[in-house]
Amino acid sequence: MSKVKPAPLSPETQIGGYRVVRKVAAGGFGVVYLAIDPEGQQVAIKEYLPASLVARAPGELLPQVSTEKLSLYRLGLKSFFEEGRSLAQISHPSVVSVLNFFRENETVYMVMNYLEGASLQDFIITARDQKQQKVFRESTIRSLFDEILRGLRIVHQHKMLHLDIKPANIFITDDNRSVLIDFGAAREVLSKEGNFIRPMYTPGFAAPEMYRRDAAMGPWTDIYAIGACIYACMQGYPPNEAPQRLEKDRLTTALARLRGVYSDNLIEVVEWTMALDPLSRPQSVFALQKELSREGERRYTKLSMAEKMRLQFDTMVADTKKSVKSVTGAPAVRQK
Amino acid sequence: MKFSVFQISRRGGRGTNEDRMGYCYTRDAALFLLADGMGGHPEGEVAAQLALQVVSAAFQQETKTGIKDPRAFLASSILLAHRQILSYAASKNMLDTPRTTFVAALIQGDSVCWVHCGDSRLYMVRDGEMLARTRDHSYMEQRQDEVPPGAKTGDKTNRNVLFTCLGSPANPVFDVMGPINLQQSDRILLCSDGLWSALSDVEIVYDLGLKQVARAVPDLVDKALEKAGASSDNVTVIAMEWETPDGFEETRGSVTTDSINDGVFASTVQAGGVEGLVEDLDDEAIERSIAEINEAIRRTAARRNS
Repeated sequence: MSKVKPAPLSPETQIGGYRVVRKVAAGGFGVVYLAIDPEGQQVAIKEYLPASLVARAPGELLPQVSTEKLSLYRLGLKSFFEEGRSLAQISHPSVVSVLNFFRENETVYMVMNYLEGASLQDFIITARDQKQQKVFRESTIRSLFDEILRGLRIVHQHKMLHLDIKPANIFITDDNRSVLIDFGAAREVLSKEGNFIRPMYTPGFAAPEMYRRDAAMGPWTDIYAIGACIYACMQGYPPNEAPQRLEKDRLTTALARLRGVYSDNLIEVVEWTMALDPLSRPQSVFALQKELSREGERRYTKLSMAEKMRLQFDTMVADTKKSVKSVTGAPAVRQK
Repeated sequence: MKFSVFQISRRGGRGTNEDRMGYCYTRDAALFLLADGMGGHPEGEVAAQLALQVVSAAFQQETKTGIKDPRAFLASSILLAHRQILSYAASKNMLDTPRTTFVAALIQGDSVCWVHCGDSRLYMVRDGEMLARTRDHSYMEQRQDEVPPGAKTGDKTNRNVLFTCLGSPANPVFDVMGPINLQQSDRILLCSDGLWSALSDVEIVYDLGLKQVARAVPDLVDKALEKAGASSDNVTVIAMEWETPDGFEETRGSVTTDSINDGVFASTVQAGGVEGLVEDLDDEAIERSIAEINEAIRRTAARRNS
C-alpha cells in the first residue's frame, strides 16, 4: 500500500465542464469536491481515487495505478458504478441524488447535488455543549429519524446497504431536510475480495457482524447503526463499540440513566435496534418505522431510589476508565 | 502465425488427476496454460481449472484490442486467478483454500513471454539446446542455486515443498520472463512435476529438440510414467513448435491463424461451470456502465419533474 495519499485535484481544475472549487471530504474510496457547473450552480463531485491503490502527485491530473493493482482497481471501479447505478434510480428527498456520471483523467466522477447545512454530528456536539438534560427533544429525534428511515427504506428496496450510517453521514440541510450521504456499496463488494481491502467501519455505529468476515450483512446491519445514531442523539456520545459490548454490555445501564428524560418506548426502541444478535433486531426498516412513529401517550418511568444508587455505584467504577469520545472523534478505521 | 501443438495428460499411480492444461488463440496471439492442483488441500482440480479459465478469459478479453504489454498482462492475470481462487473458497466457506501451481506462455507477434508460480515448468528449446527453463519456487531448487557447482545437491525428499502457489492466503510469488523473439522450429514445453521428477533436463530437451511435438510429447510422457513406475505422479505436458509462415517444413496438424478472421477465438479451455467468476472491466464495459448510469439519471429526473 502506498503510504502517501494521492493528491486531490487543485482548485480551479476543470473536469467534465465543472470547475473545482475545493476539496470537501476524502475517504478510502475517493475525494469529494465542491465544484461549479456550467450554469454556475454548486455541485458535489466524487472522484474515484482509492487511496490504497493509486498514486497521484500534487498538481497532476492522472492517477497512477501499478500493474499488480490494476485488477483490484477495476474491481473497485465496478463497485463505484454499482453505487452510481443504485443512486441514479433513487429519487428521494432523504437520499443524496446523482446528477451526472462521467469519465475523465483515466478515472470516473460522480456529480451529486451540493448540500448546504451541517451534519447531525455537528448538531450533536453543539447541543451537547449546552449541558442540558436532553441533547435533543424526543419529538425532534422521532421526526428526524422518520425522515431518514423513509430514505433508507428506498435504499434497501434497491438492494443496497449503506453500511456506514453515523451522525457524520446524516446531513441536515439549511432548508431543514435530513439527507443520507456517502453511500458505500463499494465497501461491501470490495470486502468480499479478501485480504486486500476490508470494509470500513466506525466504532460505536458498526454492528457486531461488520467485525466478522463470515457474517451476513443485511438491512439489520444498517438498522443497528440507526439505533446507535438515536442513542448518540440522546446521550450526546456514541455507544460502546460492538466488541466491547460483546465482552461486557453496558447498554441497558447507560439507557437506564435516560429513564424519565426520554420515554420508555424510545429507550426500548434503541435497545431493540441495537441487539447484538442480528435476528433480535427489527428485520426491516418498515418494522422500525412503525415502532418509531407510534402515536399515543408516552410513558415515563422514573428511577427508583435503589436503581439510582446502583447506577451511581456503577458510574464510580465505570468512570475510572471512561473514554470520553466525541461523536466526531470516532473516525472510520480499517479492520486489522 | 503458425505453430503445431500437442498436449496430453495421464494419470500416474494417483487416485485423481488434478492437472489441467489447455491453449487458446486468436489470429495474432496464442496462450498455452498448465496448472497442477495441489494435494493436501481441498479441491486442487478446481483451483487448477479456475486458474486456466480466469487467465484464458482475460486473454480473450485483452486480445480484442491487442495486448499492449504482455508482461503486465501475465502479471495481472495470474493475480486475478489467485484472487478468484480465494473468492471461490470464501463463497463456499471453505476452511482451507484450494491451491495450484501455474505456468503460461503467451505468444504475440513473433515473441514469447511466460509466467510461472510453483514447480510446473516451461522449457524453451532452440536447435536442440535448452535456451531457457523456469526455476521452481521450491526450497530445493532455490537451495541448488546457492550451492557451488559440483557440490552435493539437495535431497529428493524436499522436492515437494513449495514456498508459493496460487490460492494460498499469502500473495503468490511469480516470475515473468521475456519477451524473447521466436525463430523457426523453436519449441516451448510446459509440464507438471510428474515429467521433470522422472526425467532429467537432458532427456527432456533431447526428445523435444529431435522430434516433432506430436511425437516428442507422448514419448516423453510414456518414458516418465515407465520410469516412475506404480508410484508415478500425474504427468501433463503441452508443447508447441513455432513455424514461420514461409517455412518449408510442413508439419501435420499445425495451426495456422492467418486464415481465421478477426475476433475469432479458439480455445481448448472449458469455459464457465464455476460460479462467481469476476469479469474484469474493459474500456468498452466502462463506457457502457457510464452510459447506463446517465440513462438512469435522466429517467429518474424525468419522473421527478413529471
